[in-house]
Amino acid sequence: MALVKYLKSTDLKSWLAELAQENRVFAPRYEGEAVIFAPFDPEQEIFIKYAATAPPKKTVFPQSERLVDFMYSKDPEDLSRIKIEAQEVLPQGTAVVFGGRPCDVRGFTMFDRVYMAEEATDIYYKARRDNTSFITLACDATENTCFCHWVNSSPSDPTGSDVLAIPVEGGFLLKAVSDRGETLLTSQLLSAGENRVEEGERVCKEVADSLSQAPDLANSPKKLLEVFDNIEFWQDVSAKCLSCGTCTYLCPTCYCFNITDETQGMKGSRIRSWDNCMSALFTMEASGHNPRPTKAHRLKNRVGHKFSYYPDLHDGVISCCGCGRCIKSCPAGVDIREIVLKAIAFEPTVVEG
Amino acid sequence: MNNKNLYLPEMATIQEVIEETHNIITFRVTLNNQEAMKNFSFQPGNVGQLSAFGIGESTFVINSPPSRMEYLQFSVMRSGEVTSNLHTLKAGDQIGVRAPLGNHFPYEDMKGKDIVFVGGGIGMAPLRTLLLFMLDNRSDYGKITLLYGARSPLDMAFNYELQDWLDRDDLDTYLTIDAEFEGWKHNVGLIPNVLLDIAPSAENSVAITCGPPIMIKFTLQALEKLGFKDEQIVTTLEKRMKCGVGICGRCNIGSSYVCKDGPVYTGAQLKELPNEL
Amino acid sequence: MKFQKELKDSIRKALPELDVVIGWCGSFDPLHATPHFIRREEDIEKLEIGPLSVHNLATYLPGLRGKKVGIVVKGCDSRSVIELLQEKLIARDDITIFGFPCTGVVDQAKIKKALGYVGNVESCDMSDKSVVIVAAGKAHSLELSDVLADKCHSCRYPDAIISDIFVGDKSGEAVPAPADYEALATFENLSLPDRFGFWLKELDRCIRCYACRSACPLCVCRDHCAAESREPHWLSQENNVRDKLMFQVIHAYHLAGRCTECGECQRACPVDIPVLMLKQKMNKEIRDIFKYEAGVDPEETPPLLSFKMEEENITEKDW
Ligand SMILES: Cc1cc2nc3c(=O)[nH]c(=O)nc-3n(C[C@H](O)[C@H](O)[C@H](O)COP(=O)(O)OP(=O)(O)OC[C@H]3O[C@@H](n4cnc5c(N)ncnc54)[C@H](O)[C@@H]3O)c2cc1C
Ligand code: SF4
Ligand code: SF4
Ligand code: SF4
Ligand code: SF4
Ligand code: SF4
Ligand code: SF4
Ligand code: FES
Repeated sequence: MALVKYLKSTDLKSWLAELAQENRVFAPRYEGEAVIFAPFDPEQEIFIKYAATAPPKKTVFPQSERLVDFMYSKDPEDLSRIKIEAQEVLPQGTAVVFGGRPCDVRGFTMFDRVYMAEEATDIYYKARRDNTSFITLACDATENTCFCHWVNSSPSDPTGSDVLAIPVEGGFLLKAVSDRGETLLTSQLLSAGENRVEEGERVCKEVADSLSQAPDLANSPKKLLEVFDNIEFWQDVSAKCLSCGTCTYLCPTCYCFNITDETQGMKGSRIRSWDNCMSALFTMEASGHNPRPTKAHRLKNRVGHKFSYYPDLHDGVISCCGCGRCIKSCPAGVDIREIVLKAIAFEPTVVEG
Repeated sequence: MNNKNLYLPEMATIQEVIEETHNIITFRVTLNNQEAMKNFSFQPGNVGQLSAFGIGESTFVINSPPSRMEYLQFSVMRSGEVTSNLHTLKAGDQIGVRAPLGNHFPYEDMKGKDIVFVGGGIGMAPLRTLLLFMLDNRSDYGKITLLYGARSPLDMAFNYELQDWLDRDDLDTYLTIDAEFEGWKHNVGLIPNVLLDIAPSAENSVAITCGPPIMIKFTLQALEKLGFKDEQIVTTLEKRMKCGVGICGRCNIGSSYVCKDGPVYTGAQLKELPNEL
Repeated sequence: MKFQKELKDSIRKALPELDVVIGWCGSFDPLHATPHFIRREEDIEKLEIGPLSVHNLATYLPGLRGKKVGIVVKGCDSRSVIELLQEKLIARDDITIFGFPCTGVVDQAKIKKALGYVGNVESCDMSDKSVVIVAAGKAHSLELSDVLADKCHSCRYPDAIISDIFVGDKSGEAVPAPADYEALATFENLSLPDRFGFWLKELDRCIRCYACRSACPLCVCRDHCAAESREPHWLSQENNVRDKLMFQVIHAYHLAGRCTECGECQRACPVDIPVLMLKQKMNKEIRDIFKYEAGVDPEETPPLLSFKMEEENITEKDW
């Protein structure tokens, strides 16, 4: 059996402080009325009452990062020539992320298939992914916007995590789910957990049972392609969308980025920063032609990518973890579940000939 | 898995700059690392990302053939931020290159067939690499026909080799411009119309066409009229690109990423894709 | 709401002449509403108006230019419509405005704060004075006035200022004096480093989604925003809090004298950054210098869109 331990709630901060001696530790914190992942600070409360507003995506895929630094200098032999040196900037160090939810952490497995593909591996992503451990918090309650169980997951899914922390009386049952997870569970602050395994299982089961029946999404890849050319369908479902992209930046599985250069004097950097398919500039070509000119086209890509194209490329896996953030934080209340179900239920009206 | 940095350009030196037209210039570049240059291999149709450091990167097809490796050739049409900056570079300047990227023309499948090239404007660039490659391996292919069109003679790139192409008897070359122009001795008329006049046979043939979207659209119709089936047509697609390696997520048409699965597609593959050009 | 039936009837009457009527309807849980685009007769029944009708629907108007659009407006929303008309960003003939006497909308952040957790709301009952929310099996009773948006407390125009059809009785309440920006004054009393520190801290969590811009009815550059432009290159893509602040300053300046303080920018912000305060600051200055209030009179021209040789309250010549 995998290693299990018990941690008292009152010892949580001390444990994270221990982990912080060797790693950068991130934990959820309440700021404004939002919950965000921030570097662990013993002076600040850790907020785990409900899932964070923004997932811990940035711990492995920062909002903005330098890929390459470059420097210009005059060629001493010919002053009219500029010499350029370019140097990669690789991420360093190890990190531990505490308090992500199962959906959040499973999101990285969606990245993995794209960023660590056999034929082309993104070494920046890989360096962080390999050096970041996840102590994931199983959910003891769900929200109206949660639908992890629609997409082959659950409120206690350990996929992508190293340790699963299940809230039990007075603290957490910590279950190692990877080898790396076992190495995280060596602290003196932890006690034996075997006697609480049953309680942990009960907590997980109760939450899972509280979820309503999930619809069958197996048809979504096919059905979304069927409505691809139906622009009225997409205009209808996107009417209230503001094309802001908040949904994608808060999404634990949205992985798109831009690459831009910034210079200051004789130095500069090539930067990669979050970008998203809800933005008009995302696909704008130099000629002025844009294959996705309206928000209807763009929302079609967002839903299509998650529920059709990605599954088509990756053994049917839907690249939405059902965290519900895109619904909860959308300023216009666009509900991706509603759109997918509409597409699945869509029957073209047959015109009698 | 390999540990190559996908985003780090190779430094290269511009050996020669050729002014092709008022808005197109051609670079001939060599990688600074001689070992890398010697080992560099690519296929006709592969593209590269050229870096103007401090400005950005843009995608261009390698339009020299793999059979001529003294340099890598790129032709750049001025359109926006990066291309305008590239137009200021001179021979001897440094440039970043990430290549080869993307798929390539299925030239193996074309062996023993008659080949019809139809290129418009800067769309001649990707055709050039394959054309020269085929001429360098001439015995592998049947009859080769080239139809190359531009708005006017002044917009015609690769001027310096057109005469050679016209003179060769193992290549049927047709040039066309949109409207009459003083001193022009070749065809006048839109590419699809001229193509219908030339009327190459579809029998055991492959047509390869590149150019602006509107030209492609009517050329495909013309080819269909001439009896070319979807599988006998090959074209290249264009999308805004950044990473060039299938990760940044912007160049997809449904589940096909043009930077990685393209830019070369057959007519049959195009029909399979969702309609989002 | 009492006038809801009357409103539905008038929409039903107008719909044949219109491409769409925009209102609100229920959303993913009983605590939220969502914009509702009525195209067909059968869409009308879903229409719901009340304290959850938070969205300023005027934001959609510029994107629907050329269409015949009906729009249901709160008092504050009507000011955005007026501003859009003043700037000729929409055509008066193309829009049909449905007004109603607004009694205030909630601030979801306040409800969240009061309840601690709003993830699983089962029901939400609103009366004139109170809100009863059942969440996770527990009932919470709140005073409506405690969870109303700040703008509603100082609202001078609860009845649409401009409308083609007005349903219900005009509230007829005495209109209080203009907002005196109390909170702003307290903030302005802080030292410069404190104020700067405040913004650096708040904006640190900005994810640069620009929802604050996309939700703003008067941010009409849309796909050509200074935030993403490379030429000119105003902002870098680095994760730099100064760039984030710079964007907010740009937004505030571009909205100076045009912003009606609808608060959509702040409401849309997923990480709850108080960006409205910057706009209030600009408006306060505009009010003091130009004696102008945005979005009240369709015939007026916003002060920064007009030019006078001599400004009354700018005495640059006699320094
Ligand atoms: C597979 C492929 C092959 C190409 N081959 C050639 C060629 O041989 N010669 C040639 O002149 N042009 C070619 N292009 C088009 C060329 O890449 C664009 O014209 C160029 O990127 C415009 O860059 P810009 O910075 O000047 O334009 P801006 O409008 O300033 O664009 C900003 C950035 O967006 C991206 N971008 C914008 N438009 C395009 C586009 N159409 N394609 C790819 N990226 C884009 C680039 O990163 C560009 O730097 C090719 C495009 C593709 C996709
Ligand atoms: S769905 Fe919502 S969050 Fe996403 S772009 Fe549209 S309005 Fe913004
Ligand atoms: S699409 Fe929405 S629900 Fe799905 S993972 Fe992304 S944010 Fe969560
Ligand atoms: S939904 Fe859009 S932004 Fe998100 S990963 Fe897919 S293409 Fe990228
Ligand atoms: S979606 Fe599932 S895993 Fe995520 S917060 Fe909700 S219940 Fe937990
Ligand atoms: S800046 Fe904010 S408050 Fe002002 S009009 Fe725009 S969204 Fe409304
Ligand atoms: S909405 Fe909030 S997070 Fe998004 S850009 Fe504006 S201030 Fe930043
Ligand atoms: S250019 Fe990045 S995925 Fe194609």
